[in-house]
Amino acid sequence: MSILRMAWRNVWRNRRRSLVTVAATTLAFTVMVLYSSLVQGYLVAMERNLLDLELGDVQVHDPRYQDDPSLYSSIADASELLARFDAKGYAASARLLGFGLGAGADASAGVQIQGIDVVRDRRVSRIYERVKQGRWLDPGAPHEVVVGSQLARTLVVKPGDELILLSQAADGSTANDIYTVRGVLQGVSEAVDRVGVFMTDAAFRRFFAFPEGAHEIILRRPPDMDVDAFAASVRELAPNERVQTWRELAPTLASLLDSARSIMVVVFLIVYVAIGILILNAMLMAVFERIREFGVLKAIGYAPGQVLLVILGECAMQTLLAIVAGLLLAWPGLWYLTRVGIDMGKLGGMAMMGVVLDPIWRGVVNPSVFTMPLVTLVAIVGLAAAYPAARAAWISPIRAIQHR
Amino acid sequence: MSTSDVIVAVEGVTKIYQQGRVEVRALRGLDLVVRAGELTALYGPSGSGKTTLLNLIGALDHPTSGRVLIEGRHLGALSRRELSHLRRDRIGFVFQAYNLIPVLTAYENAETVMALQGVEAGTRRRRVGELFAEMGLEGMEDRRPDELSGGQQQRVAIARAIAAGPAVVLADEPTANVDSETAERLLDIMGKLNEDHGVTFIFSTHDPRVMERARRLVRIVDGRVDGDGTREG
Ligand SMILES: Nc1ncnc2c1ncn2[C@@H]1O[C@H](COP(=O)(O)OP(=O)(O)O)[C@@H](O)[C@H]1O
Ligand SMILES: [Mg+2]
Repeated sequence: MSILRMAWRNVWRNRRRSLVTVAATTLAFTVMVLYSSLVQGYLVAMERNLLDLELGDVQVHDPRYQDDPSLYSSIADASELLARFDAKGYAASARLLGFGLGAGADASAGVQIQGIDVVRDRRVSRIYERVKQGRWLDPGAPHEVVVGSQLARTLVVKPGDELILLSQAADGSTANDIYTVRGVLQGVSEAVDRVGVFMTDAAFRRFFAFPEGAHEIILRRPPDMDVDAFAASVRELAPNERVQTWRELAPTLASLLDSARSIMVVVFLIVYVAIGILILNAMLMAVFERIREFGVLKAIGYAPGQVLLVILGECAMQTLLAIVAGLLLAWPGLWYLTRVGIDMGKLGGMAMMGVVLDPIWRGVVNPSVFTMPLVTLVAIVGLAAAYPAARAAWISPIRAIQHR
Repeated sequence: MSTSDVIVAVEGVTKIYQQGRVEVRALRGLDLVVRAGELTALYGPSGSGKTTLLNLIGALDHPTSGRVLIEGRHLGALSRRELSHLRRDRIGFVFQAYNLIPVLTAYENAETVMALQGVEAGTRRRRVGELFAEMGLEGMEDRRPDELSGGQQQRVAIARAIAAGPAVVLADEPTANVDSETAERLLDIMGKLNEDHGVTFIFSTHDPRVMERARRLVRIVDGRVDGDGTREG
């Protein structure tokens, strides 16, 4: 007890030095908590957008589709599969995929046409939330399409305008028809923004003369199931098809999301090394000034470990103060970042590797937002304090006492 | 007197300090036996080796050759851990100055060794209270060392050394930094503690008045014992 009392009073011995150390540590810790909240918010948003808007958790394709993404590489028994997924209670929806040429009044561009089961699709995708102008598809309006924002700009069309689509139908005949633009999508993915044209599945089948089958089934996992177990279960239900998790569909992004957290820890380390040097310096000065005192402590019977505790205790108390102060300081910041967020729309929006992010960048609050900056801080402080503490603990008492 | 009364035995001890290329022979084959209850003054010219000897007896340093035994235990055979326990439990130190921990109060300084020993708080309070009363330190309990005079600081240091119940208290020129009146007071206290509680003291000095108070006078010259006399009374 007297050891900790000594440590606590030593904190206040050189008030200014302790305050500078605590203030710098507080600042670094606060900034790292906010940074961690933002980075993790970014990662969560990125993963959510990738899954909710584009990929789902698991996708089913015909095995030929990957090498030959044509109308003919379709899952023939798609409706049978959907019935099996429904029986299991899995959220699933089929999409029809085709390519063609889109033309507005004075411009044309290559497009990817997706036929969507409007009712079912809501269970697997929140793409309908990304309609920026006009409205999302309606099964009762089969001649109305929704297009990506970049494509709308290229073709110079807006909701209410006409869009002509041209392609080759499944029977080899020419497919062409006139549609009305019903809505414009923004912030789904770069691909959808640039070339996406969405119509109802019925409209797609009529346009492409494609009565049966589907090209893609998107599934969402139940919340209590991990993605690999889910994929395994889907594979059992669809043994003849190619079943891929979102990680397999977007491997680069998946590994980026995985490594982003370790990159964050590297940033913590870099910032904290500066704090570590400050603490090292402060503790070296403290130990040097009190060298005689440590000699007296050892002479009257303090063991090296007890002297170590005096110094590490002093350092731990300062760090604890900084952590408490940092949490208090970070509180309003976290509140702002999670509730209000940073409006990136004003800065032109964000996209990363084809995934479009929400215009409002929000932080998240979860235990790791605190634990990761905390654990790294404690590790660095421990390292910085170890050397001065060890010097004092193992000093020869006689040399310390003779020191003037 | 039986050998079991021997607290300190110094046998043929030499201590050579290496100062750059120069060897300083601080002790040159010194023998000394101190028994329980003795009040021994080491005196001799400055540089004769008194401090060196006290440091060796206090297990703060190792002799170059020879042996130091405390209560029959050869210090050279003890581990670091055993040495620090020995310093804590069997030896009391009073240095010339700056004995006290500045951030602890007089009371806390006095009880710190007992706290290390695991003595229970009530017992610590009682023992420090008694010693403070005996040494005229009542009312000083909550003062920090920088609020105490030099003599008061030395008294607290003596209280700290004695409170832990050591076999021997080593004091290196304990009166060097205080005025003569205070010095006499300190000596009275040490004499009283020696008489009333049988505390064994070894202190070094070159102050003639201090020597007068000692029951045993050991003269050290050039790292050897040059005279050893006991006064009766
Ligand atoms: N750490 C040291 N390094 C080198 N020489 C020392 C050291 N300590 C003491 N000495 C030398 O050893 C001799 C004895 O010193 P010391 O024991 O302090 O004598 P005293 O206490 O009687 O004045 C002196 O010559 C002194 O200079
Ligand atoms: Mg000396």
